[in-house]
Amino acid sequence: MFIILFALLAGGTALLSQFGHHWPFDPNLTNLEQKLLPPSSQHWLGTDNLGRDVLSRMLHGASISLTVGLIAVFVSLAIGMVVGALAGYFGGITDQVLMRSVDALLCFPTFFLMLTAVALLGPSLINIVVVIGLVSWTGTARLVRGEFLTLREAEYVKSARVLGQNAWTIITRHILPNAAAPILVTAVLGIPEAILSEAGLSFLGFGVQPPQATWGNIIADGKTYLLDAWWLILFPGLAILIASLSFFLAGDALREAAESRG
Amino acid sequence: MRSLRLFLYGIPVALLLLLAAAFVNATYLSVAKKNEMSIGTLGEPSTLNPIQQADSASSQIGGLIFNGLIKYNQDLEIVGDLATGWELSQETTFQFATEEEAKTATIPASQLNTAFNFKGEISNTEQKGKNLVITLRQPGLEVSEKIAGFFEKNDLHPLPFPALEPGGKERPFKAEPIIRFTLRDGVRWHDGAPFTSADVAFTCRAIMDEKVASPRRSDFDLVESVGTPDPKTVIVRYKKPFSPALLSWMGAILPEHLLGKLDPSKWPEAYNRKPIGTGPFKFDSWKTNEFIRLKKNPDYFLGSPWLDSIVFRVLPDPLTLQLAFQTKQVDFWDVSPWAVKSLEKDPRLDLFSVPGNRYNYIGWNLRRPMFQDLRVRQALAQAVNVAQMIKHIIYGRGVQSTGIFTPQVWFFDPSVKPLPYDPAAARKLLDEAGWKVGPDGIRVKEGKRFSFTLLANNGNEVRRDIATLVQDDLKQVGIEVKVEIYEWAVLLKRFVNKGEFDAIVMGWGLGYDFDQYGIWHSSQTHPEELNFIGYNNPEVDHLLTDLRQEYARPEIIRLAGKLQQAIYADQPYLFLFVPEETSVMWKGSYRIRRPGPSPGEWIDAPVTMTKAGWSYDLVWFYRPEYAPKQ
Amino acid sequence: MTSFLIRRLALSVVLLFIISIISFFIVTMTPGSPYPWGELNPKISAEVKANFRKKFHLDRPLHEQYTLMMKDLFTGDLRSIKDDRPVMGKIMERLPATLALNITAILISLSFGTLLGVYAARHAGRWQDMAGSFVAFLFIALPGFWVSYLVAIVLVKGFGVPILGTRSYGIVFPSGFAAGLDTLWHLLIPASILAIGGIASQSRYLRATMIGTLREDYIRTARAKGLAEETVLYKHALRNSIRPLVTGIGMLLPALISGSVIIESIFAYPGMGRLFYEAVLERDYPTIVALNFIGAALILLGNLLSDLLYAAVDPRVRLE
Repeated sequence: MFIILFALLAGGTALLSQFGHHWPFDPNLTNLEQKLLPPSSQHWLGTDNLGRDVLSRMLHGASISLTVGLIAVFVSLAIGMVVGALAGYFGGITDQVLMRSVDALLCFPTFFLMLTAVALLGPSLINIVVVIGLVSWTGTARLVRGEFLTLREAEYVKSARVLGQNAWTIITRHILPNAAAPILVTAVLGIPEAILSEAGLSFLGFGVQPPQATWGNIIADGKTYLLDAWWLILFPGLAILIASLSFFLAGDALREAAESRG
Repeated sequence: MRSLRLFLYGIPVALLLLLAAAFVNATYLSVAKKNEMSIGTLGEPSTLNPIQQADSASSQIGGLIFNGLIKYNQDLEIVGDLATGWELSQETTFQFATEEEAKTATIPASQLNTAFNFKGEISNTEQKGKNLVITLRQPGLEVSEKIAGFFEKNDLHPLPFPALEPGGKERPFKAEPIIRFTLRDGVRWHDGAPFTSADVAFTCRAIMDEKVASPRRSDFDLVESVGTPDPKTVIVRYKKPFSPALLSWMGAILPEHLLGKLDPSKWPEAYNRKPIGTGPFKFDSWKTNEFIRLKKNPDYFLGSPWLDSIVFRVLPDPLTLQLAFQTKQVDFWDVSPWAVKSLEKDPRLDLFSVPGNRYNYIGWNLRRPMFQDLRVRQALAQAVNVAQMIKHIIYGRGVQSTGIFTPQVWFFDPSVKPLPYDPAAARKLLDEAGWKVGPDGIRVKEGKRFSFTLLANNGNEVRRDIATLVQDDLKQVGIEVKVEIYEWAVLLKRFVNKGEFDAIVMGWGLGYDFDQYGIWHSSQTHPEELNFIGYNNPEVDHLLTDLRQEYARPEIIRLAGKLQQAIYADQPYLFLFVPEETSVMWKGSYRIRRPGPSPGEWIDAPVTMTKAGWSYDLVWFYRPEYAPKQ
Repeated sequence: MTSFLIRRLALSVVLLFIISIISFFIVTMTPGSPYPWGELNPKISAEVKANFRKKFHLDRPLHEQYTLMMKDLFTGDLRSIKDDRPVMGKIMERLPATLALNITAILISLSFGTLLGVYAARHAGRWQDMAGSFVAFLFIALPGFWVSYLVAIVLVKGFGVPILGTRSYGIVFPSGFAAGLDTLWHLLIPASILAIGGIASQSRYLRATMIGTLREDYIRTARAKGLAEETVLYKHALRNSIRPLVTGIGMLLPALISGSVIIESIFAYPGMGRLFYEAVLERDYPTIVALNFIGAALILLGNLLSDLLYAAVDPRVRLE
């Protein structure tokens, strides 16, 4: 049931953001005569301080926020899987070195890492995505390593090794497919985390740069007008909430499905 | 088992109960107010030592704890503070090859005055060995140069003195301006020790001390000596005429008896967070990131303040400040322009506005070829609709800027008229300058598209919105603008300090000083210097140098006017607007009762905005529920 | 056991050393440099800037800066670039408020989270469980700053209640009790918002372990004996499910001094998060490095403590 809900929501937002680029208005079109208007029949979710349509900006922001989520998770999965697989498969000194580096990385508060990394690299969309991915791979690495440690001892892996297949083949053919389910779950759960991270960074002014809209920076830009223009805060926040919630629920549903099967 | 359950359910229930009780308590909290004023401040001072600070939060608080020798009154005229009077003069020294020659040159002051048709400008002449010292009533170079010319004509040849600045002019005399301060009687430090001229001399020494790393140091570079003939007199001698020097004595004076024998490395713990001053309020307590509280100084030399205490609350962003004001947790709020409109209608509030003393601008990096053509800069200025910016970004609360001075200051030249918004004229100018509209609608010249990056700092909504609107406006005339917003520290280090940027949205709030040498002189274009746009105009250089040597008010007004015209004509900045400053308080929460002109007379008045701001005279603010008796 | 301790401690020291190097270089490589004078100020000459750099060794090569900073850190002489005060003093000054906030938040999340988790586990698979999960995920999905804003709007606009800082100002309190409640009020609001995420994860965690425990044989035996469901749940099941939690206490160590920039900023609460954030913005290198170092040390100490507790609680575990 959650999966259906999730698919609907994800599909819906993706679709909306696709044809929503200039619907109902150009998201970057300023119209100073119409600034800070409350929701009305013309501007469904009101306008911001430069008279831009909040709905249009949110739809535009949806594609960016979701992209941030997806790519960041992709980056984090890529690193996490490589590190986890190497550590889990080879064990010994490789494992020690890699896992101690993971420990070291975990000693830095994530948010600190993100702040400094964004300050270091500059707040472009790509950089922010990469940074979020870069600081969130440790969990995946640990998980993948764990899976590998167990699967390494499985009979079919052992026999593949006896047959002289190389490590790459064994990892990609035999171990990864069997570890796919938990990895997929972490991936799905990672997306909303990334969206929330981006929103947090935007709040502090380290997020995606204007005029590009994300849900996070619509709120961040609108906070000045909080007491007079609640719509600048409420709607994008709800969007973040609903999107993250559906990803979390979907991830959880996937996890349960995977567990009951295994 | 029972205990576990009790624990499990107990804590949440207890927490909920507490929350409810606390909420009720907060809602029905007694509204009886302490006799305390609460002011919100966005930034926290780094130190309360007035000579080690430069941020506005520090100076606001420091201004209540300390006094300078002089100060601005509410109409921005200079009046005495710790000093009751001051006298300017100058000693011009001519040095001759022989004592004989010096003796010949020593002509009585009265004769000299008559010779030059002066009205007593020369007050004394005195021979000291090979030197002839002439005392002038007003500092400056003009009179001395006339005398030098007179000597040459009469075949007297004063020896040249080396120039004081690299590349400066050698002069046949040494001109040393002197300020003589008479200090106020009976002033005591908050710890009871008397205030004397030794404190003034010490403050000057401390500022020059390398270990103190004072940001006020450049003000005192030219001080030759500080003399203290008696506890109530200070004589400051300068190396050369430098008219803004007087203003530096508005800075706070530090207690010698506390700091004189203490190594500056000990100051941060021993003094900087619990300062002792002479001001109307004493330091009481400071909790970092929370508040700084001052209590009244009943022995203040102008009389005890009516308020018991003032608390400065550190509220990290404009939004929290607004929340605090709404819940009456701070009494005053410097409102952002956009909020003024809705607040004006609220009958529970009092708003006061004053024309601001800062202006916003876009600086064009003149090292970039595209900005070197004056026609281009004029076109840019005419293509941007500043009136619309004023209307929508600051909601009509401000005026268009016409150059480096704001209408607030006495040397502002009102004859400079702003360039009108005229996109058609802008297009024509761009065409003339060789920038023709290309296939994509963006202008092109010699194969280069007219496209540049406009920088702004993050956290400043006004500047961010300016950038967005400039982007829109310039698109209309075929110029592409990319906006990039950086953190302040990054903006400074990576772009501004190195002079590596195309254009930047910034603002200056420079007080009431006419000296803008550091910002416009062509010698100030190195990394980290403030002429970061690389402006270079020999005429302006001359005006800047002349201005800082000029002491006569009418002459300052004339030179400053010429300077303002010259720079505005050059359009090195796109001068945008001077925003008004508005503060708001809950209606009737404060009144002012200050001493009248005759002794024993008191004037009672509502809080009003003065040229110097609403908080100009916090000593005399009172809460009506604690109304003073007399 | 002793050799385990020695090895772990040695490893921790090595890790701390590496972390200190990394954090120092990350921090100093970050664009921007300390500029303690606020806006651009024409009065500040190049000479003043040079003096300032010299005073804080910013003119030395990086490796020397690092050695000097570490030396200062261990002798307690490390001074903040912002106000020239000892960094340790600045950190200690934040400690009471930070501890109060974090302990309250941890208490709230543990108690409410446990309740929610037990509730969900008890009704595993039924609609109550679904509702419990939904609430938990809703809590995780809530952006902290957004909730803070909504709470702030409601409390300020709706009720006119002061919410900023650690207490109300400028008010004559009718009694010490009212003043105490007022302080509590200012603590509970940010602490509750801070606890939202914790409630969710605690409830998810407890639900999972509880469901596992409830499948165990001894629970079945207990039920078969005809013990009341309440007794089974709380006496047998919960106790065993909570055990891993006890060992996890070590992990709370770093959480105690950590701060949340966002919530502290919105509620103007004087906590560690703001100290850190302001240090980052001002490029106050010594403060950033010191906070990082202490944070890392606490995390390592927490890990060690957890392992030790685990061994103490579960005799099957041997530390090697």
